[in-house]
Amino acid sequence: MDEDKRITLDNLSVRYRGAEDAQLKNVSATASIGQIVGIIGNSHTGKSTLCRVLAGVIPNIISAEITGSCEVLGHSPVHEWPNFNSLTGVVLQNPAGQLSGLADTVADEMAFDLINQGISEDVINKRVANVAAQMGLTDQLVQTPESLSGGQMQRLAIATAIVTQPTILIMDDPTSEMDPLGRQQFFHWLANVQSTTVFIVSSEIDDLSEIADRIWVMDDGQLVEQGTPQAVFNYLDADRQIPKPTAYQLAAGMNWHLSNGALPVTPSELKEAYDGKN
Amino acid sequence: MKTESIHRTSMWKFKLSAATMTLIPAAVGINYVAKALAEGLKLPVWLGSLGTFLASMLAGPVAGAISGFINNVIYGLTLSPISTVYAITSIGIGIAVGILHAKGWFSSAKRVFVSAIIIAIVSAVISTPLNVIFWGGQTGIAWGDSLFAVMVANHAPVWLASFTDEFVLDILDKVCVAYLAFFIYRQLPQRMIRFFRDDK
Amino acid sequence: MTDQSMLSGNPAGKSRWFNAIDPISKLLLILDMALLSFASTNLLLEAGLITGGLLLLLFSKVSSTTVKALGFSLFLIFTMLVIQGLFYSKNQTVWFSIIGINFYKEGLIYATTLGSRVLVIILASGFFMVTTSISENAKYLEQSGLSYKTVYVLMSVCYILPEIMGNMRKIQQAQRVRGVNPQKTVIQKLKSVLPVLIPLVIKTLDQSMTRSISLQLRGFDNPNRKALKSTNRYRLVSGLHIGLTFAAIILIGWKLWTKISGLL
Repeated sequence: MDEDKRITLDNLSVRYRGAEDAQLKNVSATASIGQIVGIIGNSHTGKSTLCRVLAGVIPNIISAEITGSCEVLGHSPVHEWPNFNSLTGVVLQNPAGQLSGLADTVADEMAFDLINQGISEDVINKRVANVAAQMGLTDQLVQTPESLSGGQMQRLAIATAIVTQPTILIMDDPTSEMDPLGRQQFFHWLANVQSTTVFIVSSEIDDLSEIADRIWVMDDGQLVEQGTPQAVFNYLDADRQIPKPTAYQLAAGMNWHLSNGALPVTPSELKEAYDGKN
Repeated sequence: MKTESIHRTSMWKFKLSAATMTLIPAAVGINYVAKALAEGLKLPVWLGSLGTFLASMLAGPVAGAISGFINNVIYGLTLSPISTVYAITSIGIGIAVGILHAKGWFSSAKRVFVSAIIIAIVSAVISTPLNVIFWGGQTGIAWGDSLFAVMVANHAPVWLASFTDEFVLDILDKVCVAYLAFFIYRQLPQRMIRFFRDDK
Repeated sequence: MTDQSMLSGNPAGKSRWFNAIDPISKLLLILDMALLSFASTNLLLEAGLITGGLLLLLFSKVSSTTVKALGFSLFLIFTMLVIQGLFYSKNQTVWFSIIGINFYKEGLIYATTLGSRVLVIILASGFFMVTTSISENAKYLEQSGLSYKTVYVLMSVCYILPEIMGNMRKIQQAQRVRGVNPQKTVIQKLKSVLPVLIPLVIKTLDQSMTRSISLQLRGFDNPNRKALKSTNRYRLVSGLHIGLTFAAIILIGWKLWTKISGLL
């Protein structure tokens, strides 16, 4: 495959300045253009650090010692910032901290990235309306950002990341403050995103299994497993203490296997396994 | 690795980086809530320069001075107009804290006390002429002003009476704020201190 | 500053006379009125300026903030009248006595002059405060040629303050749940501030770290940035700026001249 259609991490290690231990240790992984990569693992295992490297925040904004290489669709977030930055949309962990701190309304906040690019007002208004509709924030456009609930704030953070129509979307636990319905809507939306390469850190194993093309499993700064959701959850070491998808647990209990011998990880696979059994 | 020899060469080097740009409004906000907290508890001190102290300690005297200046201008244009003119005092405080911190005068509890006195003197020296011009020498705090009245009644020069009035209030306030800032700064995570220090 | 209405300013569509005056002209007006008041010791002129300030406020709107600022200053002016009326160093002429205590004319006039100047500044600033919203200032300043960075440093606190106050309330509530006792002595009170202030400061600084990262990710310093036009339509902007600046220069010059000729 061409260099510009691949994501390649090769022996990537990161240590924050002044820190004793490395946050990432010899991480090697691959994915390809247009895929959704779900990054999972327990807390403090390096998921956020990985997001920061993929977004170029490390080492361009937060200084750190970095070895190995990281190539995303033919670009290096490490060496080609801010050029690379114009291709990405990033959602950080703390939604309130991502707001510009100088916007009167939700609409102004969404328009911020576009105003920075010098885009004309008509185009801005259209894109803001479009993104607000996608994130279910149309009714909140004239409110002040700080009047939003936690879940709405996260949807606003996502809206500000996608309003620039990025080719690479990096999201660090974007649903942590959403209610179940909001979360469901978000993953439904994400499943339908076109021509964007997505990296998403989440603990929503069920949702990730359904929508992700690849799963990367982090443990203690190392990438310990990667592959399709089905492959990863079927071969994941039980010692890792990472919960399995509900469908997998159910099928394991009932001993329902797919025709390839693996256990199902999504509801539709579960049905397939069930139908195969009967 | 050497850790505490940072500011020595670059204390006055100032670039409005993205880190400083978000630190300054945060410092002004901290000034505001600290003041509100002190008023709520009816403390005899203002605490309204805590954010300015922290900005100076984190990002140097210039960042502290800007925080102090903006603090009074915004406060003046939204709540209390006369406080705008005391922006000069806040600039002085920001610079004094920045220099003292860079020279290591915030490194131990004993040294902080000396710093607090120096900062109180700086603050009182700048504020006194303003108090005389705008309030005939008063500060607006009842017990400081009673002292002022007693001294003026006994034919002390207005300048001296006003300086005393301001200084007794300042010394109490700056000692409290300096120790608060010293204590809080020590609790800040290293990654934060490094981030605002901006040494890439 | 926490007042939400200050952010949003006037509701869209309804434009009043003061919306046609740009923020810089209003600031210059405060400067001119303050300078005029300081250049003179004529109480009639001071009374005129106070009336002017009051009229400006009455024909725009009166807010609780201005009333509070006025209340505090009036109290201070009252104590100033007492202290200066009794003890002013140039006191000679007894004006009146209350229960045997003499109030002197010189001190009372001195205190009245100072008090008038304070009132002029408060009233003129009050006009600015009630007629200008924060967002109007931010947009206008950027359009006037200030960089986004500068405008941000100046104005952002007004936007993030509600969030900081919200965090403070959350922390205070948590402390209360933990059952922190009401404090009596000053030292106890000061100590009771710590468990609120320390987490609040760390949270606030952490938030500004994230914000700084986010602003860079969102391209705030892109040279292509074009600020959107403000919805307010200002009249006579350059005329007002030139006129008011000229007046300020004349007033400063006059004050300097009288000082210098006094020395000669």
